Amino acid sequence: MGTEIAALFGLAGLTSAFAIVAFMLFAWMAWRIVAKAGLPGWTGLGAVLLTLTAVGTIVPLILLWVFAFMRWPRDEAPVAALAGGRPVPVAPPALAAPPKALPDKRGWRLAGKLADGTALQLGFDDSASTWLLTGAPAAKPAELTIADASVSQPHARLMVAGTRIGLADLGSANGTFIDGARLLPEHGARDITAIRTIRLGTVELALSRNA
Amino acid sequence: MSEVTFFLLPWLAWLVGIGSFLLLILFIGHLLLALILIIPTWKICARAGYSGAWSLLHLVPFVGSFIVMAILAFGDWPNGEAGEGSR
Repeated sequence: MGTEIAALFGLAGLTSAFAIVAFMLFAWMAWRIVAKAGLPGWTGLGAVLLTLTAVGTIVPLILLWVFAFMRWPRDEAPVAALAGGRPVPVAPPALAAPPKALPDKRGWRLAGKLADGTALQLGFDDSASTWLLTGAPAAKPAELTIADASVSQPHARLMVAGTRIGLADLGSANGTFIDGARLLPEHGARDITAIRTIRLGTVELALSRNA
Repeated sequence: MSEVTFFLLPWLAWLVGIGSFLLLILFIGHLLLALILIIPTWKICARAGYSGAWSLLHLVPFVGSFIVMAILAFGDWPNGEAGEGSR
């Protein structure tokens, strides 16, 4: 009989110990949670401690609802709290965006001399995306004639994309050169926006922007 | 007596019936109590920056409330916490 009573007391003691530990843990966690919301920690602790009193469980339950839906001090000054209480300098109002640059509408110019000494000036712009350089008389608006025997018919193609110029050789007999370097048909289109001269056959042309 | 009874002792059926009923009441009571806890806890979790679904841990008997409280108490709140000074 004595063993059973001792076991019963032991179980009760163990249960009580568990209950006390659980209760302390609850109180501690309640303290931390309300503190994170910006309230004094003792309010959470007190709410849990209330369950020990005659008011029982219903008051802490009501307090839980109040806590969930009340205004939290954390939400009132989140910026000041993040900065450790120090006032945070207010950012100056954003400047207005700078006016958008006007699109560059200037055309390009290819200038040079033919073999017979006559000056040649070819103008083109972005009104057409491709311009044909040929030795034959121009049949279409986007064709530029270079009346020289060394220039094939057609010889090369100019490509205009915004502010950039491309050049592609069309299998010309006497070749196309960009700043002295041979451009072969298999090279495809090369960007010549930044170069100074191109040569078609024996005709050297300087590339420049119209004023 | 031609009537076939499942129970050897007829009054045992009452006991099982009452037992089942009590279990059902216990289950519904648990759900109701959990719901009373879940609604505010859902709100608290959401305000802390966690998913409100964490509050469904209250449905787990005994340890569920501990777990959800521990998450709130020891986790870093994604939505920010009050300053260290007041803790």
